[in-house]
Amino acid sequence: MKRPSLYLFVSLLLILSFVLASCAPTAVPATELPQASAPEATQSAAEAETITVIFPKHEADLSGAFESRIREFENQSGIKVELIQSDWDSVANRILPEISTGGSAYDVVEFDNGWVAEWCGAGWATPLNDFMPAGYTDGMIPGLVDLFSCPDKKVYGIVWNNDTRFFYYNAEKLAAAGFNEPPKTWDEFKQMGISAKEKDVVSYGMAPFWNQEWSLGNEFHFWTYAFGGEIVDEKGCFLFNKDPNTLAALQYMVDSMKDGVSNPAGMTYNQAASQDAFLKGDSLFMPQGIAGLMAYTKDASVSSVDGQIKVGLVPGARAGMSAALTLPEAYAIPAQSEHKEAAWKFIEFMTSRETNKALAQEIGVLPIWTDLYADADLTAKYPFWSEFQAQLSTARGLSKLTWYGDFVDISTAEVHKALAGEQTAQEALDNMASGLSQFECKP
Amino acid sequence: MPRALKRFFLYLAVAGIVIWTVAPYLWLIISSLSLKIDLLTVPLRWIPPRLTLENYYSLFFTRGSESVNARLFFHSLGNSAMISLTTMFICLILGVLAAYAIARLRFKGSNMLVLLMMATQLVPPIVLVVPLYVIMRKVDLLDKHLGLILVDISIVLPLVIWLMRGYFASIPSELEDAARIDGCTHLGALFRVILPLSGPGLVSVMIFAFIAAWNEYLYAFIFTNVDAKTIPVLIGEFSTKLGLEYLRIAAAGVLASLPPILLALVFQRFIVRGLTSGAIK
Amino acid sequence: MKITRPRSRPVFDDPRTLGLLLIAPAMLAILGVVLLPMFNSLWLSFQQHDLSRPQEDAFVWLRNYADLLRDPRYLNSLQATFKFSLFSVLLELALGVAIAIILNQEFRGRGFVRSLMILPWAMPSIVNAAMWKWIYNADYGALNALLAQLHIIDHYQVWLAEPTTAMILIILANVWKETPFTVILILAALQTIPEDLYEASRVDGATEWQSFLGITLPLIMPVLMIAGLLQFIWGFQTFELIYIVTGGGPFSSTEMTNLRVYATTFRSLRFGYGAAMAYLTSLIIFIPAVVYIRSAYRKVVEV
Repeated sequence: MKRPSLYLFVSLLLILSFVLASCAPTAVPATELPQASAPEATQSAAEAETITVIFPKHEADLSGAFESRIREFENQSGIKVELIQSDWDSVANRILPEISTGGSAYDVVEFDNGWVAEWCGAGWATPLNDFMPAGYTDGMIPGLVDLFSCPDKKVYGIVWNNDTRFFYYNAEKLAAAGFNEPPKTWDEFKQMGISAKEKDVVSYGMAPFWNQEWSLGNEFHFWTYAFGGEIVDEKGCFLFNKDPNTLAALQYMVDSMKDGVSNPAGMTYNQAASQDAFLKGDSLFMPQGIAGLMAYTKDASVSSVDGQIKVGLVPGARAGMSAALTLPEAYAIPAQSEHKEAAWKFIEFMTSRETNKALAQEIGVLPIWTDLYADADLTAKYPFWSEFQAQLSTARGLSKLTWYGDFVDISTAEVHKALAGEQTAQEALDNMASGLSQFECKP
Repeated sequence: MPRALKRFFLYLAVAGIVIWTVAPYLWLIISSLSLKIDLLTVPLRWIPPRLTLENYYSLFFTRGSESVNARLFFHSLGNSAMISLTTMFICLILGVLAAYAIARLRFKGSNMLVLLMMATQLVPPIVLVVPLYVIMRKVDLLDKHLGLILVDISIVLPLVIWLMRGYFASIPSELEDAARIDGCTHLGALFRVILPLSGPGLVSVMIFAFIAAWNEYLYAFIFTNVDAKTIPVLIGEFSTKLGLEYLRIAAAGVLASLPPILLALVFQRFIVRGLTSGAIK
Repeated sequence: MKITRPRSRPVFDDPRTLGLLLIAPAMLAILGVVLLPMFNSLWLSFQQHDLSRPQEDAFVWLRNYADLLRDPRYLNSLQATFKFSLFSVLLELALGVAIAIILNQEFRGRGFVRSLMILPWAMPSIVNAAMWKWIYNADYGALNALLAQLHIIDHYQVWLAEPTTAMILIILANVWKETPFTVILILAALQTIPEDLYEASRVDGATEWQSFLGITLPLIMPVLMIAGLLQFIWGFQTFELIYIVTGGGPFSSTEMTNLRVYATTFRSLRFGYGAAMAYLTSLIIFIPAVVYIRSAYRKVVEV
């Protein structure tokens, strides 16, 4: 009976080694830095209030800049912060079970633009007006404040990530194709794209991210806005199937797949793939690029277009029109939180002008305070922000609907079908209306 | 067919199997050692011009918070190991006993229990997750190793039972009857006759149970947060608002698949012939 | 061999009590975790419970289920999942048997190849999904590069934009990942087939193929059936692969039921409808699965 005892021995050995491995760093709160504990020791640790904060990592935050600010907050306020930072999807999927079942594990949570109406309807967030000093939001970009208000006119979130998207183009390749100015209308956009492709300067005018996933809903909003169209009105009544501009937008998207402006592979691309193609120099335009794209262009491990990229205004259906999409994320305090004052102090600190400026300086976070766009230090470091500023006043957010999840679900399927050529743009919009008919507002 | 030709085709087939199995994984390894911009070249160079350890480096060190990520990675690795091993052992013990009962001791209601067990496997776990979350929160098992072990058992145990039942059932009952005639109890027959004979099956089920627990994602994600986070959950966080960070996932994936492979390497020798030859005699 | 009088059996050697005793801890472990949530969500499935519109919560009996049977998106996902699972299982079984038989032969490095075999199954599913997404990338992916360099295609194709090719490719990815499971199961089962049976048939003049059909196949049939059923059920649980590689596209042609349940509960916050979707799906696969299990059980008994 030698063999059984042999493998018993080996498995015991394996167990031992694994147990040793797991014993070593036990229960490490993932974000505790060694130097944070020193100043804490001077305060009576037992009385330090602890709040749990969960929000995604900022796209540009490769150096832990947000975390450093949080540690500074801990020092200044004496409130300990249990920080949970991961990717957007994970954060969303973690928050939902906790908040929807009345849990109080989190004190400050991520609050995405797309969730506002849902949370308002469900009553999951605390109105911040109870904590904000009067006039706190004066001086913030107005659109950002409105996006996070509920029908009761109270503010429920303060933005930490002003994720407005901008129009980037490869100036060098555009010039090689014979154009010196970026397009002002979508017709010009199309001409330039096709021309550059024919001259073999680029593979395609753009490689859009039109995979059948959540971000296609964003794209639908962007193109609709860019053509001056509407999706729903303030009451949530359908406009997308009635507004001719919306139809024109969708038609343009569909046509771009056929006439060579869009890379056909765009139907399978997510935002990362789209950005990859642009940074490689295979696309001429990036109509919806993140604010931090310029920093990526300088990174040789992902980009071969350093120095070639410029920022323009989003083209419109006619010259002079422009609109952009903003996908901001805010901090909110769950209704069930047991440390609301401390949570507010956190939010106040992290969204203050000082912190905003520091983060902008360090990693290029787009400020939420309008006066920071005129700040000397920042404009010196990011000269292209002047182009951003022109765009920011035209930025619009996602539709505020309690049924936004269903909207994305159905619209992405129908739009994708139209992009594939399996149905017309009009049919797509009609199918969307019938698929969402249970949410149609009653006259 | 001449023997040499047969051997040739055999080795050809083996080569084909190896290529089929390993090629994508090899590409994963190469990707993990590449820079993004090099992977975007057309035509694609299978060996990239520049090899880099940057992706692995980023798993362990992020500029600005150096030690945190390394500790986090090893901590998750340790969590995974501990949870998977414990789950595996508990499932083996409970599973072997239950499988024996179902396979050999045909008692009233055994059928119904099997069906009940299968029914629990059919429900998409996504719909069980929120009520289970509430229960776990009430008994304070959230983000604890024990909590995840308990829910993992509910997934892995049915697998073990089904597979072991299959192996037990394929052992001819004459052997067991012979043992019982010799005076063995049922349990004695189990330990002295059935288990040794089903050695290969037992080892393979052991490997499966470990890997199933190691790679389990949904429950691990929902029920762990920081303290008990396992490796698949950590890997799942390597994405930005724009999409998955493929290169980092590749690097972490290469590392995360090593322990199961090592386990398989060690134990595959036990899936061998020989334990049963002569048994019928 | 001694001839002994059988001792009077201790009470816990009685098949019924012993059986219950042996199976009880396992049942407790499984049902203890799963039963309450199942009842809770089943109860939920008879209600309208949209989290963002709590004022509309109501008990609606079977309305959710009726709506589901008329929901074209759900029905589409059912047939997509059936297609996916069925083809995956068939391929996995066929390949599994073939590979297991080859790996059962004697050759140099056999142990190494066998342990290599577990590689695809040992990868976390997220890594697997991300890897295949990258391989299938239309402009830069390895699949296009390989086919182009072998001159099988003359320019890169957007494989994932066509329903048929997208389905084929995710089935391929799934089969790649899951086949090792069947291979190792069958390999272990092959070990228990005594060599004498093959010798006897060889003496009788049977060909390899005949002994495969007559000896091997029947003896590994129980394992094949179990593996097949498991893989079929797991096909319905597939999530990461679809979510990451195609997102359900092109235009919902690879959308699986699991994806629909996730979208309905976690994205649209319609928990009642989502629960109903989950249970209806379970019911639909339960019936063929039960039939299958009973026949498999009977076969196993006869062995």
